[in-house]
Amino acid sequence: MTTLRVSLSGIRGKVPEGLNVAVASDFASAFATYLERGRVGICVDGRWSGTMLSHAVFAAVSAVGLDVYDLSVLPTPVLQFLIGRGIFNAGLSITGGHNPEDWNALLLLNEKGAYLDSIEGNEVFNIYHSREFSRAGWDEIGKITKYIPDLGAYLEFMGQFVDAGEIRRAGFKIVVDPCQGSGAVLLRDFAEFFNLKILTINSGIGGKFPHDPEPNPENAAQAAAVLKAVSYDAGFLLNSDASRLSLITEKGDALSEEYTLPLAALSYLEKRPSSIITTVATSRMIEHVGRKFGVPVIRTKVGQSSVVHTMEATGARIGGEGSGSVCLKEFSRGYDAFLSMAFILDLMARKEKTLSELTSELPKYHMKKMKFAMPVEKIYRFVHHLKEVYSPENPNLVDGIRVERQRGWFNIRPSTTEFVLRIIMEAETPRVLEELEEEINEKLWSFQ
Amino acid sequence: MRRPSDLKISISGIRGKIGRSFTPSLVLSFSEAFATYLGGGKIAVATDTRPTRDLVKHAVFAGLLSCGATPVDAGILPIPSFQIYVKDTRARGGIAITASHNPVEWNALKLVRRGGFFPFSYQAEEILDIYHQGRFKRVPYFSSEPRIDRDAFRFHKRRLLRFADIEAIKKRRPKVVVDACNGAASPYVAEFLEALGCEVVAINTDVDSPFPHPPEPVPENLTQLSEAVKKYGADIGFAQDADADRLAAVDETGTPIGEEYTLALAVKYYLENKGKSPVVVNLSTSRAVEDVAREAGVSFFRAKVGEINVVEEMLRRGAKIGGEGNGGIIAAEVHPCRDSFSGMVLLLEFLSKSGKTLSELASELPRYFMIKDKIEVSMKDGIRIVEHFKEASHGGKLNLMDGIRIDYPDYWLHLRPSNTEPVLRLIVEARSERTAREIFEKIREEILRLKEE
Repeated sequence: MTTLRVSLSGIRGKVPEGLNVAVASDFASAFATYLERGRVGICVDGRWSGTMLSHAVFAAVSAVGLDVYDLSVLPTPVLQFLIGRGIFNAGLSITGGHNPEDWNALLLLNEKGAYLDSIEGNEVFNIYHSREFSRAGWDEIGKITKYIPDLGAYLEFMGQFVDAGEIRRAGFKIVVDPCQGSGAVLLRDFAEFFNLKILTINSGIGGKFPHDPEPNPENAAQAAAVLKAVSYDAGFLLNSDASRLSLITEKGDALSEEYTLPLAALSYLEKRPSSIITTVATSRMIEHVGRKFGVPVIRTKVGQSSVVHTMEATGARIGGEGSGSVCLKEFSRGYDAFLSMAFILDLMARKEKTLSELTSELPKYHMKKMKFAMPVEKIYRFVHHLKEVYSPENPNLVDGIRVERQRGWFNIRPSTTEFVLRIIMEAETPRVLEELEEEINEKLWSFQ
Repeated sequence: MRRPSDLKISISGIRGKIGRSFTPSLVLSFSEAFATYLGGGKIAVATDTRPTRDLVKHAVFAGLLSCGATPVDAGILPIPSFQIYVKDTRARGGIAITASHNPVEWNALKLVRRGGFFPFSYQAEEILDIYHQGRFKRVPYFSSEPRIDRDAFRFHKRRLLRFADIEAIKKRRPKVVVDACNGAASPYVAEFLEALGCEVVAINTDVDSPFPHPPEPVPENLTQLSEAVKKYGADIGFAQDADADRLAAVDETGTPIGEEYTLALAVKYYLENKGKSPVVVNLSTSRAVEDVAREAGVSFFRAKVGEINVVEEMLRRGAKIGGEGNGGIIAAEVHPCRDSFSGMVLLLEFLSKSGKTLSELASELPRYFMIKDKIEVSMKDGIRIVEHFKEASHGGKLNLMDGIRIDYPDYWLHLRPSNTEPVLRLIVEARSERTAREIFEKIREEILRLKEE
């Protein structure tokens, strides 16, 4: 089975059998052909395969006739910010995000810095499959230039969406684990800007990953251990391209990544009202936040593309996912772990509360996430089967199926980044959660 | 007939036009094939000065890294300097990004094997086989960045300065105009000639400007150099091609001596002053070199066209001097490869030691008249036509090593399908211009007639 997964969340695969230089070259050619002209910013997250993939992408984009700006190791959200500011006309981030170190992906970013929407994406995929790439003549090819971005401007702008003065006065001490990813290049500037005392672990770039780069309690053991040993205010776990964030309390308790979005929304919505865009796979905690500020929560398909483009379409300012992802439209069209950190620190500073106090104010839910590897066609058949079975309950069918119950819910859907069936369920008590799990397992085993 | 593709995949490497056939994915795959063949390791990469050099270089880097090789970026470098670089840095191989004397819209990859030689034909065929099958050995876990060497010319320079009789040149202090054609020699040639003890005027040494004229060092491209030689009252003018393997010379009156005579002069000087040695040239090279060798009483051999064939024959015969009539001088002591720098050293020494002018030296050579041209013919027709001539060589001495060469007492001709383009190359050389023209026209008409059959 191939390990290349092509979707709006990127062209993603295990290197080299799924994603390799040839695939990267063709996708970059297709993307550049689609763009036709302009300046393309390209960054990597520092993982080993990024070097060869980036050289393939430079050549491909230049050959179509677009100028290439080589940003080297940089978080995807910073590239998205730079595109939003008009520095580049589009972008390409080479990052495996939350995937293990032997994976990588090409993320395609449109003229606003957002992931492609489905129309844009299909256009690029059609060009890719037809291999109808534009070819510039020798005197029309794009230049390939190294570019050092202005990180100061990025932080300055971020400071406008939080109470930077309060954060600086608080003089927080934090532990950050960027998991050898691109977040490492920004940590010192971020700490300096917000007057943080920062203790970093796993901040070398690339190499063997100390743990999977998915920010969640399972991967937080090192950072949590540090927090238990020293008296710091919070811990932060980033994925490879600093788009996702999970939190660790001052006591060393690793929080579910589901907490990031509701806490960030609490911080932002106090300043400006906005509806909240999230996905069918995200915790109910966000409804609590929505009710508190009297704003609607709109649930859409999973993935940065659907969330950001729904924000665009509805005029919502804030959105995100239970994966630890937050986007603020006025800031950039992407999930940004640094902005998310700033929101959390802002909330702690203004409320003068610890992270564990802030989280205890959110309703307590019990969640379980499971995934099952199976052939794609079987995944689709199973989901169709569930849609029939649960139709009396009027489920949400935006992405797979989401069934709402009084004291819990579950979502079952095909993953867009891996060849797996994803199951997420949440309940008010462990008992209810267990019942949901039994119900789903029964459906799974009886379906063959 | 369908227009022949401009893409050329052959044992000389892979070549095509940017924006048409020479695509990044092609360059990638070819580099992957090469890295697969070598099994990874250190592989040097250099370019000439074409505006598309960076694009191609990044694709090469990607392909090499993909199959576990570590690229070393040797920057802009003449091809002989690059071959020496591969040898002296003990790299496992090299890829030179240069389309040599071809116009600017072309680019190409030339493969260099360990020791600084072009691949033997069987090796090139093995690499091509891997390329055609697309079975690349992509590595699952490999962490490497291209390394950059900012002074990659030093190895070649060191060897040249050891080879040259600097004292002799310094004594004469010849005034030299050199035209680097904004090519790969541009960053180095002026400084090198000064180190030899020359007074130097260098023209066209801007690597970021387009080729000022077609980069093949043949008389029609030497007008700017001729004028400069006259203007500065120089003793000699040199023209290098874009990758600086070939050399043409202009005498003190501004007259090109003809690229065939560059080699003849270099060989003559070498045999008279540097030492006796067998001489090896290719089948297309002027008889003047053969005469020079005979005069010096050394043995003389001809090899198939293609630098590696001449080099192999030189190594087999223990020849220290040889080359190709198109201005490709090979001085094995520097390195067995075509090298415009070695050629310059030999000609400058000749001027300095003889005390004569270049026009005097050239006039002492046996005179022949040569016509070279190419006739557009598809590969298949080309082979058929050459076969026909094999049967129709009345009374001449036949050599079938490479296409067909027929030697008669007063003239000879060489007809062969090109390795790099869908053309037949025809060369006729005779004692008189009239004979040469008559024979050439006769054969050309015959070819055109056969093509229509």
